[in-house]
Amino acid sequence: MNVRLERLDRATVVIPEGRLDFDAAADFQKQLEGLFSSATPTPPGAVIIDCGSLEYVSSAGLRVFLLGARAAQKAGVAFAVCSLKPAVREVFDLSGFSRVLAVHPDRATALGQGPGRT
Amino acid sequence: MMERRTRVPADPKQLAVLNLFLQDFWTAAALAPAAMQPFELALEEIFMNVVMHGSEPGRTPWVEVTLDGGAAGSVTMTVEDDGPQFDPLSLPTPDLSAGLDRRPVGGLGVFLVRQMMDAVSYQRIGTLNQLRMVKTLAG
Repeated sequence: MNVRLERLDRATVVIPEGRLDFDAAADFQKQLEGLFSSATPTPPGAVIIDCGSLEYVSSAGLRVFLLGARAAQKAGVAFAVCSLKPAVREVFDLSGFSRVLAVHPDRATALGQGPGRT
Repeated sequence: MMERRTRVPADPKQLAVLNLFLQDFWTAAALAPAAMQPFELALEEIFMNVVMHGSEPGRTPWVEVTLDGGAAGSVTMTVEDDGPQFDPLSLPTPDLSAGLDRRPVGGLGVFLVRQMMDAVSYQRIGTLNQLRMVKTLAG
């Protein structure tokens, strides 16, 4: 899985591309943790995971979202997810993650509403 | 009617091999690509369950996956392993209402499989664990 980062003024947008399965989960976890690490000179005000290019997620992938959200909370950084494709959305809904995480329909909404919930 | 079968060691490296096996079956059976996702997820969750919980010191079990169906509108996926007796359906349902802090990070995989499949059943057959999953494809 490829992961792109876009650093905006007040937020860092993380864009995972492809399949977030067991094989990809460990690397993705490291990348997310890096954003909240005390070694990061300027921590972002918000982290948004833009899932517009994410085709697949398993429970191993969900786990990384959960750990990321917890790390964000600890660091005082807003954490949101946006642009879920139907297959990924289904996994988020069935697992109850849509209720635990801030999930927005698109990136503009996620940037505008910050940590709000849908 | 089409049936395909493969057997791999319960090693995480084999996940990609199994996923290709599923894709090949799906293409050969001319099934709708969008309908594959529940099987992709179930295969990963059940296989990784055996990888994580089915191994004993010094011994890696094998996992055999059989895919069956197409013509009748439903697909049956059977996963067998020769690891220690373990019924994944005996795992408790995770607490979906727990908040961010208290939510357990594990236990979701089998739950998702049960939600996505029409029927899931476990059988202990001699020295084998067998999990059988059936889903009727839309359309």
